[in-house]
Amino acid sequence: MKIGRFFRDIYRNKAMLLFVMPATIWFICFSYLPMAGVIIAFKQYRYHTDGFLASIIHSAWVGWDNFKFLFSTQDAYIITRNTVLYNAVFIILGLIMSVAMAIILSEIVNKRLAKFFQTGMFLPHFLSWVIVGYFVFSFLSYDKGVVNQFFGYMGWDLRQWYNDPTYWPLILVLVNVWKTVGYSSVVYLAAIMGIDKSLYEAAMIDGANKWQQIRRITIPMLVPLMTILTLLAIGKIFYADFGLFYQVPRDSGTLYSVTNVIDTYVYRGLKLTGEIGMSTAAGLYQSVVGFVLVITSNYVVRKFNKDNALF
Amino acid sequence: MVYKKKWSMAMSMLLAGSLVLTACSGGNNAPSNQTGTDGQAQTGDNGGEAPVELVWYTIGTPQKDLAKVNEEINKYTLEKINATVKMNMLDWGEYSQKLQVMTASGEAMDIMFTASWAFDYVQSARKGAFMPINDLLESHGQGILDVLDPAFLEGSKVDGVNYGVPANKELPAQEVWRFNQQLVDKYDLDISQVSTLESLEPLLKTIKENEPNITPLAIAKDFMPLAGYDYLIEKMPMAVKLDSEDYKVVNILETPEMKKELQTMRKFYQAGYIPTEVATLDTMQDALNAGTWFTDRAATQPFADNLWSASLGYPVVSTPASEPTIYNWSVMGSMQAISANSKHPEKAMEFLNLLNTDPVLRNMVDSGIEGVHFNKVGDNVAENLPESKNYDMPTFSLGNVLLTYLNPEDPENKWDEFRTFNEAGVPSPILGFNFDTSSVTTEIASLQNVKEEFWSAIMTGTVDPEEYTAKAIEKFKAAGLDRVMEEAQRQLDEWAANQ
Repeated sequence: MKIGRFFRDIYRNKAMLLFVMPATIWFICFSYLPMAGVIIAFKQYRYHTDGFLASIIHSAWVGWDNFKFLFSTQDAYIITRNTVLYNAVFIILGLIMSVAMAIILSEIVNKRLAKFFQTGMFLPHFLSWVIVGYFVFSFLSYDKGVVNQFFGYMGWDLRQWYNDPTYWPLILVLVNVWKTVGYSSVVYLAAIMGIDKSLYEAAMIDGANKWQQIRRITIPMLVPLMTILTLLAIGKIFYADFGLFYQVPRDSGTLYSVTNVIDTYVYRGLKLTGEIGMSTAAGLYQSVVGFVLVITSNYVVRKFNKDNALF
Repeated sequence: MVYKKKWSMAMSMLLAGSLVLTACSGGNNAPSNQTGTDGQAQTGDNGGEAPVELVWYTIGTPQKDLAKVNEEINKYTLEKINATVKMNMLDWGEYSQKLQVMTASGEAMDIMFTASWAFDYVQSARKGAFMPINDLLESHGQGILDVLDPAFLEGSKVDGVNYGVPANKELPAQEVWRFNQQLVDKYDLDISQVSTLESLEPLLKTIKENEPNITPLAIAKDFMPLAGYDYLIEKMPMAVKLDSEDYKVVNILETPEMKKELQTMRKFYQAGYIPTEVATLDTMQDALNAGTWFTDRAATQPFADNLWSASLGYPVVSTPASEPTIYNWSVMGSMQAISANSKHPEKAMEFLNLLNTDPVLRNMVDSGIEGVHFNKVGDNVAENLPESKNYDMPTFSLGNVLLTYLNPEDPENKWDEFRTFNEAGVPSPILGFNFDTSSVTTEIASLQNVKEEFWSAIMTGTVDPEEYTAKAIEKFKAAGLDRVMEEAQRQLDEWAANQ
């Protein structure tokens, strides 16, 4: 009888199910089916004339060998530290900045001006990292950069920005916030627009000022969304933005101590040999850690507030 | 019950739908297989045998008139060898990666470009991307064996087997110092005295003092001083001395020759002869185009000065910086290989044979259609027509270069000079030895990262060589350099014993 119930449920919700069908098919084809490919991480992948599947089957098992390069050197610590710390800063700062921006934008009375600012902040999102890299270069170039021109004008010593790691953590964080804040603030802005206006009216009648309204109404209403977006970001904490860490510092070797992250390390290590097994291993490692982190942080969120958790 | 029936139908439709989708995503090779069978279905008039379509991937910016020229080529090849080709071009930057993915996923291909610097020939051969061609060369590629300098085939063997047909072109690699002649004349500089890096100094000094807007030594991040060594893997520290007889693998950073050169580089850098940001500069092409450079180093070939002067639009002169030496990478500079999964290896070899021996086909592939893209003005001389901008192929990548028509301004003896140049080349002691890294892949990946961190900065003089080579050596060792060098030495000794 249970099966009958199951089909009845499906029938009742057929319209909804039809809506999600394209996305489901997409996920099955491009996310779930390829998952079988993780076995390549445990193989020394070699080509076979009968195509891809035959190649996988005929490649030799190598156990955990493909993972070794991620942990075998002193760089392992640096790349893990850089990846996690940068991403942690991006998550925290990104959250604060985008919520702040969204609130400011929503408070601008002149709607035309608000749209103008919003579009201006949104624009960097569409630039590729290569272009952003050159943009930064026009500031930091030794002989033609804006910053050094200014230093020269002030009579200060010129700096070789691309050879000096000192300021790069700051530069990278700034560039990343500049590029991403516009996009994420739009999400919060939409949520703010959805807050029931009568709440504010009631607060105003009770004599609440702007600051009190923001603190007691806007932010609490945004918390569920903030939690969900942060949880999702935590799942990606082991994935560094390759373009940011490769293009923006112009792949300068002397900066690696502060710019080398898991993704750039894997790229540099494997671009010569092109071992598919090893890059799959790196990807699998990142996904597993991300998965564990999402599950744990979701568990923690559940402890505090069940409604805010993802699942 | 009615619900159930309806829904089981809907479910099966969903299933069928997803199956179709999977088929689409996984079946990229289906269409090309189709063309194969289609081709067989047509009954050719050449002895009743069906013509074959060969799928060919080669490197270079895709050309506008490719399809048009391809059609002409097919008319010709159909008649000659009863086969057609489907030419595909992939741009310089994406070729290696795309080919790697395509081979890994078993895409149907017959012929593909490969080299030491694009879709890494040795690595791909070891992974099984190519078909061994020794027997095919004997049976269907006699023409290639006749025209090609045997050193090409000898030097491009991987573990004793040939996997690709090298293009007949300049065999050794020789580095020269190139000079912007306007400046040489202006200050009446004597470039004939220049050979080593150090000997450049007085000239660079003159330029630096008199021409503030000129880059005296226009180098980019890929620059490396010449120290007289051959590298087991390009730009990795394992190297063997060029005049070595004992095949000793050494760390290049520890050799007195390299140390001395690096000191000179540092001196030049501090004197301001080299661009300040050289370690992150991809290219100095802008300075070359604008003529705001004085000298740089380049690989030469006979009459290279003419080529450079023509492409830059002002006179360039050069003087040798090294002896012409035959390296693995110079032999493997341009090859066409047959895919391991090719259904028609014999036809593919017949085609390659024709490409390397038949001037008509070779020039059609290279320059396009006669009367449209070029006009023949002599026996082996052709001039470009305006349309040639729509079909501008990289000549060196498409087989026997010595068959291509000369430009009207080329010296008549150009190809003879190439043969002389090839004969003058001295083989590197490790020519034909290819380090098999499969037992040390973990170490190679780590070494690669250390190399990327230090190489450009040290080699261009951006950092103090004393301090940073010590750091680099230490990090290389920590990443397993000793183990890799030991393995390399073992393989090299084994190889040398069999020579």
